[in-house]
Amino acid sequence: MIDLEAFLARTGIELRMLEQWVEREWLVGERSETSLILTDVDAARAQLIHDLKRDFGVNDEGVEIALHLLDQLHGLRRIVGDMQFEAEAGRRLNKRRLRRIRYERYRTRR
Amino acid sequence: MSSPYEKLGVAPSASAEEIQKAYRKLAKKLHPDLNPGDKAAEDKFKDVAGAYDLLSDADKRRRYDAGEIDETGAERPPQQFYRDYAGSDFGRYASDAGYADFGGNDDVFADLFRRNAEARANRRGQDLLYRLAISFADSVTGVSQRLTLPGGGTLDVTIPPGILDGQTLRLKGKGAAGMGKGGPGDALIEIEVKPDARFTRDGDDITIDLPISLSEAVLGGKVRVPTPTGDVTMTVPAGSNSGSTLRLKGKGAPRAAGGRGDQLVKLRIMLPKPGDPELERFVTSWEAGKTHNPREAV
Repeated sequence: MIDLEAFLARTGIELRMLEQWVEREWLVGERSETSLILTDVDAARAQLIHDLKRDFGVNDEGVEIALHLLDQLHGLRRIVGDMQFEAEAGRRLNKRRLRRIRYERYRTRR
Repeated sequence: MSSPYEKLGVAPSASAEEIQKAYRKLAKKLHPDLNPGDKAAEDKFKDVAGAYDLLSDADKRRRYDAGEIDETGAERPPQQFYRDYAGSDFGRYASDAGYADFGGNDDVFADLFRRNAEARANRRGQDLLYRLAISFADSVTGVSQRLTLPGGGTLDVTIPPGILDGQTLRLKGKGAAGMGKGGPGDALIEIEVKPDARFTRDGDDITIDLPISLSEAVLGGKVRVPTPTGDVTMTVPAGSNSGSTLRLKGKGAPRAAGGRGDQLVKLRIMLPKPGDPELERFVTSWEAGKTHNPREAV
């Protein structure tokens, strides 16, 4: 969890921008009952959005499309990564194995 | 090292617009987040971005052209890219929209994605780790303590009797809040037992060094012995030596399987303050004391 001030300092964006991006659901954070909790992954994503807008001149509609496609790309990469892991281990692709692998791979990163 | 102009592939006479255009063209190909699988992209991007940072700032560019500064330092500080997170389970943004048409519900992809989405929506809260220091006596008898949490809340911890230094208690559901139906994590409380000046623990047994007087050692008698659960009276047999150990049954730490260990009382004979004329007179006139050699076996 990163506090708001540190988040803005790290990403170089202004509060107004952050609010806008959260409203547009470009950033979702982790919602607790009362507040929005921002973490490292949100900071990295905010930096990406900032790069797209400031450096690449992408407009808001463009950012939306880029994020949408990127999110799908990462979803795909994750699945392909799991399948590759399974194939390297010389095992037949099977749902139960994949579930196990997934559990073992990601459990330690929490 | 090539010049920032070369890195961006523009002429030194290029206009600000040309520089921006060249940068955008390169950055689109090199930005790590737009090239999640290309490990080399990050270094190349840093190079190009650094060159752009220098040349896009009119003042810095003028000073560079005048030879006042060189291209060193024109490098971006390390940045944590989104791709570094998006591939792991932390990537709560990743979407399965790209696979909706891959087979039916029985399909491996559909199955994986459904579970992913469920796991993200219903993630269990994190376990939170706390440390709690308690006294030796409390570790033997057990104690209830209120822990003040960093966030301002409190947590009531009941420490069972007989806990050991370094043991961890798990309070179910007292960790960070989860998401959806994930439920909260647990609070893990690592117990530190503060050392005690009198008692030491060895398994379920507790040892104490107990000073006794010369008369108590020679003639025996009843003495008061502290235990973690309060004082008890113990009989010292006549003729007890320094170093001999007496056992108080059931006065040690509680055993996990029920019952208790023992308290071991190690005797230590303490002479009265030096210069007691009566004692000196007695020992001088005590014939057997002169011939007794306790070091025969040594």
